Amino acid sequence: MGSDVVLKAENLHKSYGKVKVLKGVSLEIRRGETKVIMGPSGAGKSTLLKCLNLLTKPDKGKVWLENIELTNPKVNINKLRARIGFVFQEFNLFHHLTALENVMIGLTKVKKLPKNEALRKAKEALLTVHITEDLWNKYPAQLSGGQKQRVAIARALAMDPVVMLYDEPTSALDPQLVGEVLQVIMELARKGVTGLIVTHEVDFALEVADEIMFMYDGKIVERGPPEKIVFNPSREVTRRFFEKIGRTRGVGEYGVLGRISPSII
Amino acid sequence: MSTVVQYLPYILEGIYWTFALVFGGLALGFIIGLPVAIGQVYGDKFVKTLLNVYVWFFRGVPLIVLLFLFFWGVFPAMGMKLSALTTSIIVLGLRSGAYQSQIFRGAIESVEEGQVVAAKSIGMSDFQTITHIVLPQALRIAIPGWTNEYAILLKDSAICFTLGVMEVLTRTRYVAVSTGVYFLPYVFAGILYIILTYAGTKVFNIVYEKYRIPGLIGGE
Repeated sequence: MGSDVVLKAENLHKSYGKVKVLKGVSLEIRRGETKVIMGPSGAGKSTLLKCLNLLTKPDKGKVWLENIELTNPKVNINKLRARIGFVFQEFNLFHHLTALENVMIGLTKVKKLPKNEALRKAKEALLTVHITEDLWNKYPAQLSGGQKQRVAIARALAMDPVVMLYDEPTSALDPQLVGEVLQVIMELARKGVTGLIVTHEVDFALEVADEIMFMYDGKIVERGPPEKIVFNPSREVTRRFFEKIGRTRGVGEYGVLGRISPSII
Repeated sequence: MSTVVQYLPYILEGIYWTFALVFGGLALGFIIGLPVAIGQVYGDKFVKTLLNVYVWFFRGVPLIVLLFLFFWGVFPAMGMKLSALTTSIIVLGLRSGAYQSQIFRGAIESVEEGQVVAAKSIGMSDFQTITHIVLPQALRIAIPGWTNEYAILLKDSAICFTLGVMEVLTRTRYVAVSTGVYFLPYVFAGILYIILTYAGTKVFNIVYEKYRIPGLIGGE
């Protein structure tokens, strides 16, 4: 495994009962890279992501984080999960904790940092995702969807993860809130935060990705530079998919840049 | 009539014993009920079956039967000589534990799966997930059900008169029998129970409001 490959999956298989969701998926991500997974619903994208930090246990295949094999039953998977940031479609912020406490709890309870250092790191992470001080003591239910998702990103980011996994981070958001979340993810990618993103936002994928992997029926059927995959794919299924969801450049009213909230810029 | 009135403070003093029964029972029931609930949700098949038997037994047998069974049967057979008060508290606690476990179990199960998955995603162990994420939410959700348990236990405590615990009802009966006046003492006792139920419920509601979190049940 090359020294700068930080996450690697080899031949992952996963079935739920008789339904084969993953049929042999392999991928690797190098430090600083951003890769995007696209594909129709039911292709196995979310399952793949959850298999990468073993929130779901793959039936077959191996996963490495840096040089440690996560699928080895002897490793302490809890400890290693702390080094993989995971952002959920449904945010999953802890309801009983404020925005600040949501970010801090992993630092104090998992990383066992002293309270003042955890506080400093949490504030830094919140500011990175543009959650300003007036929101720090709000509970999740008092935040908008976009704010919730940015706090969730901060919660993952504060742990200093080796890689960030985003599972359709904007699918549960109202359209006008999508931009502020995509903007944050884009900024992180440009700062060199390694990321693997499942998304349906074509414009965003074109902007952010070093490579797009196209998944269909439990396999990655095609991968390559974003422009090639979106505009000139080799496979028929890929072409049909992008025809269906539409290809626009990220400038118009419906493009990602048009949706970024003014308060962020 | 005037003799009865002068006995009312004597009945009132029974509140100490009634409270000992209620809060002793609630506390013991909590100590038993919470772990039972955790076991019923997260335990393996063997643990679950064992706990189900406990819950099934204490929910299925009338309180008065449990009191007699433990006071005259179980404890003497174990060579333990316990007072009527201690026996009553233990029995109320064991019984309340069975009911409380169901309150807590429901509350734990109502915490969304996403909360648990998120806790794991930041590296928490199963134990940390339960103590830092699931229980703080579940206990808040459980407070209204738990308030109800107070009201039930308060009234159940009256049944402990059968073992002669000097609680409100025992004293009321004593006054009624010795003065030959029945109506006033029982009205007095009834009003006392209503006031205690109301006051206790109010206190628990204040606690609930204090710990209420926006976004959790009852929050806004």
